Amino acid sequence: MTSASSLAVEPSHARLNAKRRRAITAATHGVALLLIAYAAHAAERLQLDPTGLSPAQQQVATQTLSDVQSLLPDGLLRALPAQVQVGWRDDLPANVHGRAFAGRIALRRDLLDDDVAGARRARRSALVHELTHVADRNSAHWSRSARWRDLAGWQRKPWHLGRGDNAFRDRSPDAYELTDPAEYLAVNAEHFVLDAEFACRRPALAQWYQAHFGTPPSLPAPHCAGTVPLLQADAEEGAASLLQLDPSRVYAVDYLFAEGSAQPMSRWGHSMLRLVICRPGRAPGPDCRLDLEHHRVLSFRAFVGDVQISNWRGLTGGYPSRLFVLPLQQVVDEYTKVELRGLASLPLQLDRSEIASLLERTAQVHWSYDGRYYFVSNNCAVETAKLLQAGVPRLGEAGLAQLSPRGLRRRLARLHALDEQVLADPAQAQAQGYYFASARDHYQQLFSVAAAQMALPARDVRAWLALPAQQRAPWLLRGDVRASAGLLLLEQAAQRRAELRSRDALKRRLLADPDSAATRSLRALLEQSGQWLRPGQLLADTGYGLPQAEEQAEVARAAAAASAQTVPAWQALRVQLRAQLPPSQQRELDDIDRNLAVLGARVREQAAEAPPTGAAAR
Amino acid sequence: MIRPLLLVALLSLPLAGVASSFAGTSAGSATGASSGSSGSSSGDDKMVLAARDDAAAFVASDGQIRGARLQAALVHLREQDAAAQQQSDLQLARALLAR
Repeated sequence: MTSASSLAVEPSHARLNAKRRRAITAATHGVALLLIAYAAHAAERLQLDPTGLSPAQQQVATQTLSDVQSLLPDGLLRALPAQVQVGWRDDLPANVHGRAFAGRIALRRDLLDDDVAGARRARRSALVHELTHVADRNSAHWSRSARWRDLAGWQRKPWHLGRGDNAFRDRSPDAYELTDPAEYLAVNAEHFVLDAEFACRRPALAQWYQAHFGTPPSLPAPHCAGTVPLLQADAEEGAASLLQLDPSRVYAVDYLFAEGSAQPMSRWGHSMLRLVICRPGRAPGPDCRLDLEHHRVLSFRAFVGDVQISNWRGLTGGYPSRLFVLPLQQVVDEYTKVELRGLASLPLQLDRSEIASLLERTAQVHWSYDGRYYFVSNNCAVETAKLLQAGVPRLGEAGLAQLSPRGLRRRLARLHALDEQVLADPAQAQAQGYYFASARDHYQQLFSVAAAQMALPARDVRAWLALPAQQRAPWLLRGDVRASAGLLLLEQAAQRRAELRSRDALKRRLLADPDSAATRSLRALLEQSGQWLRPGQLLADTGYGLPQAEEQAEVARAAAAASAQTVPAWQALRVQLRAQLPPSQQRELDDIDRNLAVLGARVREQAAEAPPTGAAAR
Repeated sequence: MIRPLLLVALLSLPLAGVASSFAGTSAGSATGASSGSSGSSSGDDKMVLAARDDAAAFVASDGQIRGARLQAALVHLREQDAAAQQQSDLQLARALLAR
């Protein structure tokens, strides 16, 4: 039932430490008698049942009981019954190291054979594991608590429909932990008690054990890096890098809500979280709100590693649900400029420790979670709610059972966990980055500026954007700097529309020819994306939980090496695919490029000229 | 019931809740892309480049459309440069477009 791995504790050393600590405490507080009484009491708790043991085995078993007892934290000891019998048997099923039943523990007798490598660690792990079961069943009932199940990864389903399976399959120390919450408790207790790295690999769990079990007496105080590792998308397409996020640099976390669009899969809107990260050197404070290039977005999406997606698979869990870590500016551009949807960024009311624990949870999800996306029951809102519930205990207690981004927003507001006042003044909200308006909101205004200066061959902005680029060209060099700047933004809009049309044409082409070089190269690039979105798989054979320094270095190296190939590959693919477009579409894209170059140069020139006195006086 | 709905990663758009590409989109700033001063830009330049679209909207609307990226760039320019503190928002936005 238990696995033998990682760091073993030297028994003599451990006992020495424990003795020394006891002596010091006693001298300081003058409660030596009490402590001795307590220690004696504890010593009687674990009782060896010597049945079937040779004298040599008895000696090893006695030693093990005494060692483990000295390793157990107080809270766990106290939760045990007055006496626990520990016997050693040969009739346990293969791969089962121990059993606990009716307050008695049976361990595998082979574990007493020190000729077997790892036997000492295995029998200690097994004993801690079973003792945890006994304590849990006897009195504590830790594994039944909602908080424990949130932390362990038996996530709540929306609308109070119970809990799903544990999907935190990657980077598990022992897959057996996923059996049920009680086994999760027992397996992780082994690590908490015996494994010095546990506190850094699963910090939130270690804190939970610390609060309920107390300090494991023999382990050195942990020195964790304090940063949260996340594999993030870079601004450059196809590139990824390792972000070592220091929670103390995160000034705030916002609920980032993308308004709905007419697309069937986005009508509900989209739920995300925005990390307001301060730029290096800035003390965390309100000024960090404008350090936009350092902000990151956590966005749960279905990952579709293919040219086409299907509604059916989206509804039935055919796609994995992945946590994307993206630059804020990329997300803002994607929604406001490409999808033409507004984004509201509403500060969550969290204190420092809640932000830290939310980030820790984020990293655990990032490295270990392998859930499926269900368009209705496990969508972005449900995933975001689960992250908030597990990451912020206060919100977990209140419950956020919601199916939709809008519903989650309402629920958070009702819990006074959301500051919606930031939107009260729309202009201020946009200037301060609480609201990112759809680019479309401004199109008509920009068009009117140019239209006021010349007789443009279009009634409104729709008609203007619908013109072939060549027909817009003659009008681009006639206005003042205001008109040129506005036309430049509109030309960009025209470019994105043309790109969307091209995309549809290319999709049909790629689907029609699944073996073409372009399709194969696209599939390969998507596969790389898929690997980065499940970063735990990059480190499949090492460690568990959050990657530590060496593993992080390995991931960073791998990401850099792969990015060096994928960035040019994406660029090459773009060029290759553009060349496959129908000639008319290619011409249009080329014309727009020319318009943009002309306008860019003109805006630069006009802006550099001395501004009219009216503007200078502002 | 099964029908292809959307998307390919080229010129790609991860849609709400559905994404085919890890990184991205082609939504980047075309004003930035058409800049003559392209090449390796980093740090401050990147921030100023990122604000070009916002600056264009601000100049075009004579100060009515004020986006957060422009706001960030204005704060930054004034922190970096004493002369910038004497200039109006519109002057700085134009200076930004002139880069």
